[in-house]
Amino acid sequence: MRRTVGALSLLFILGMLLLIAHPNYGLKFGLGGEDWQKYRYTDQYYIDHGIEEVGGTNIVTDIVFDYRGYDTLGEATVLFTSIAGAVALLRKWREENGE
Amino acid sequence: MGSDMGLIVKTMARATIPLIGIFGAYVVAHGHLTPGGGFQGGATIAGAGILFLIAFGLNEAKTRINKNLYSALEGVGGLVFLIAGMLGLGVAFFYNTLWHNGPIFNGEPGTLLSAGYLPIMNLAVGLKVYTGLVSAVFAMALFRRWRK
Repeated sequence: MRRTVGALSLLFILGMLLLIAHPNYGLKFGLGGEDWQKYRYTDQYYIDHGIEEVGGTNIVTDIVFDYRGYDTLGEATVLFTSIAGAVALLRKWREENGE
Repeated sequence: MGSDMGLIVKTMARATIPLIGIFGAYVVAHGHLTPGGGFQGGATIAGAGILFLIAFGLNEAKTRINKNLYSALEGVGGLVFLIAGMLGLGVAFFYNTLWHNGPIFNGEPGTLLSAGYLPIMNLAVGLKVYTGLVSAVFAMALFRRWRK
């Protein structure tokens, strides 16, 4: 009984999330009006203007290194910090007895 | 001796490590033209380095891989990435000034010397990811704590 109720409530929550995320009658953030879809879904803009604005024919690289450059900078910082932390944790700090 | 694998694995590693390295370098160098980029190509080349470490053992890798040099090169890759982002600082951070009005890297879209700072950033990120992953795996192999 409790498992059935739990599964049904999970299904209900999933359905509500799908309804909220739907672009036609879901929840809308940001600018109002009719052209909210233009500001929210920018993929067509990148496909149309990426080559002339950034120059690379690989649109994903255009987005990653130019339009979303801060994100890539943070990603590189995360990689650097994680590897520095891994090396700092794994290195031999002092001469342990028996080594 | 002792930590390397058998003859079959070593022969296959000798045959495949150059091919993996060449493919990774291609992915990094053509990051602004074809699918892939710095992260993916750097991880591919790091796969070649890790294959070398696994197949030939730690003692052989210790004589070939200088881990201090690799740690330094990782920082250099990050710095080159940051400097390439700062090139167009007169307009904005991450402004692609080499592509709009730069002396180099402003060829036709689709050629190798195009797309402004994208090839520089791809090379920098590829170097950073390659040296970083090899350093991490090498540190895990080198500084193990458990007893024999």
